[in-house]
Amino acid sequence: MNAESGGTQLLLLLLLARKGEVPTMSEAIMSSQMETAPFDPRFPNQNQTKYCYQSYVDFHRCQKLKGEEYEPCQYFKKVFRSVCPNAWVEKWDEQLENGSFPSKI
Amino acid sequence: MTSSHGFHPYHLVDMSPWPLTGSISAMMLTTGLIKWFHQYNMNLLILSIFAILLTMYQWWRDITREGTFQGLHTSVVIKGLRWGMILFIASEVLFFFSFFWAFFHSSLAPTIEIGMNWPPYGIQPFNPFQIPLLNTTILLSSGATVTWAHHAIMEANHTQAIQSLGLTILLGFYFTLLQAFEYIEAPFTIADSVFGSTFFVATGFHGLHVIIGTSFLLICFLRMFFCHFSSNHHVGFEAAAWYWHFVDVVWLFLYVFIYWWGG
Repeated sequence: MNAESGGTQLLLLLLLARKGEVPTMSEAIMSSQMETAPFDPRFPNQNQTKYCYQSYVDFHRCQKLKGEEYEPCQYFKKVFRSVCPNAWVEKWDEQLENGSFPSKI
Repeated sequence: MTSSHGFHPYHLVDMSPWPLTGSISAMMLTTGLIKWFHQYNMNLLILSIFAILLTMYQWWRDITREGTFQGLHTSVVIKGLRWGMILFIASEVLFFFSFFWAFFHSSLAPTIEIGMNWPPYGIQPFNPFQIPLLNTTILLSSGATVTWAHHAIMEANHTQAIQSLGLTILLGFYFTLLQAFEYIEAPFTIADSVFGSTFFVATGFHGLHVIIGTSFLLICFLRMFFCHFSSNHHVGFEAAAWYWHFVDVVWLFLYVFIYWWGG
């Protein structure tokens, strides 16, 4: 789910609230969070390892370029959070910290 | 046609201890390597290398006696020797094929462990237009001089044969010297990622083959000095020249794909 579609959903919620049809909490969770990374034609194979890695790299490059407050960078984080095993992300965070991460950020 | 046993052109070999000493020392070599790797002790390795060198010297000395002095290498035998050399070089091609396979496997779709980049982030490869290009011209020139030597032999021009073969050996030695310099100056090692592994295994085995080829040519040089070669019978030299061309061609592939494209 990217920032734009998040905004659209917020608008939808507001419209529903005006009509007095406010969704329940569980419905809100279902509609806004039960979403996985979309298909990316750069990574057409069943093995999505490179999609995961590229999204992790893109997130950090995006933040470096645009600053940590720049909301659209969160899209990449959502993707790698969804696709990558947590252990890999932890390992890469450590590598970034000690300067042994194998890509240029 | 002459042979050791009557009216046929085949060479029925005499009893020889060298296959046995060769096998035993080859087994000792592998065992000695393992002993070295595990116990940091090189005594069995050194002993086996000594035994192999002794076997090689005496076996090939016997072959020279049979072929050059006893006339046992008839045209039919020579045909077999040529086929043997062709099949040996074919097997060497497959040997290097496996290293190129490893290289292309690692470089065409680099894994996330090396940042999906080739060369991997942090590796500084050699500039292919410096020493590697010089080495390309050296090996290509040595291919020309070894052909010059072949023609000199066929025309029974002993002086030019000695000069051109000597020049070939010097070029081979110069190549090895430059590669050694390059290895010493290298900013990465065999332990630095799959780049270092594929690079040094492929170029290292090529370097070993250059040393073997130079030794082969050096033996031909000495045999030429002792007049073992005639204008129409010089199989040992031909085999050495084939081998040298093979080493040359492997280098061209190494240069184009590993040094140039892969750097």
